[in-house]
Amino acid sequence: MRETRLWSLHILVIPILAILLGMHFALMHYSPVFYGTSVEEAREFGTMIERGRNVAQFLLYILFLAAGLYHGLYGLRGILRELPLTPALVKVVDTGVLLLGLAIFALGTYVTWWTFSAKIGG
Amino acid sequence: MDTNKPATAYDNRLGLKGWMYAGRYSFERYLYLGHRLSGLGLIAYMILHIIETANRIRGEEAWAELMALFASPPFRVIEYLLFAMAVFHAMNGVRLMLIELGFFLGKPTEPVYPYSTSVLRHRPLTYVIMFLTILVIFFGGSSLFFD
Repeated sequence: MRETRLWSLHILVIPILAILLGMHFALMHYSPVFYGTSVEEAREFGTMIERGRNVAQFLLYILFLAAGLYHGLYGLRGILRELPLTPALVKVVDTGVLLLGLAIFALGTYVTWWTFSAKIGG
Repeated sequence: MDTNKPATAYDNRLGLKGWMYAGRYSFERYLYLGHRLSGLGLIAYMILHIIETANRIRGEEAWAELMALFASPPFRVIEYLLFAMAVFHAMNGVRLMLIELGFFLGKPTEPVYPYSTSVLRHRPLTYVIMFLTILVIFFGGSSLFFD
């Protein structure tokens, strides 16, 4: 049952990922097409900080981070678990992937929060 | 049979080579391989991306240096490959979900030779989705290179 739940969550985050990744691409890679600004402008420090102060953007990026990491690391775990591992090694894989995910999520959340609360430029 | 034995006891395991070839793999099998490889590439990139964008904490100058590096031609090519991987993974994922939910598989039939398998029945869908994938990768990529 636990594995079914984990798999279902892996599938359920797909629409969230598709929408948020699409928005991320539109903003950071296709800004000339969608926003009429150059890619360089979209990636300028000041512009990035200004965007990051937006509450909706802050929340969406945390959601994007969680959904992306969960979907990707669950897939990685599945591939690693297909290897001929002993039960002890399966636990190492599960714990390792979980810790990696939590560490990267913590870093991403910290940076997003830092941007959200940045005092730079007034 | 001792079920507690680790799987390494079997000598018919092909390992990573088996991902690539084990005789008469279908087109869908190579899509499965592409899905895995693109997935691994994307998660590796996502982790590196989170680490590198944390560079903003070091200030405006450090950020500008990093962005100048990403604007260089080699990084634009890498960016395009990532875009292509993301598009392929997403489009193939749509195909997998449609099949998982039972669409485009046709109704079950008597197993009469020549056999009609569900893989063959959904193959037109596979071709359409892969054609769309190529179009998106081609046209989407052009705007990454030409502002």
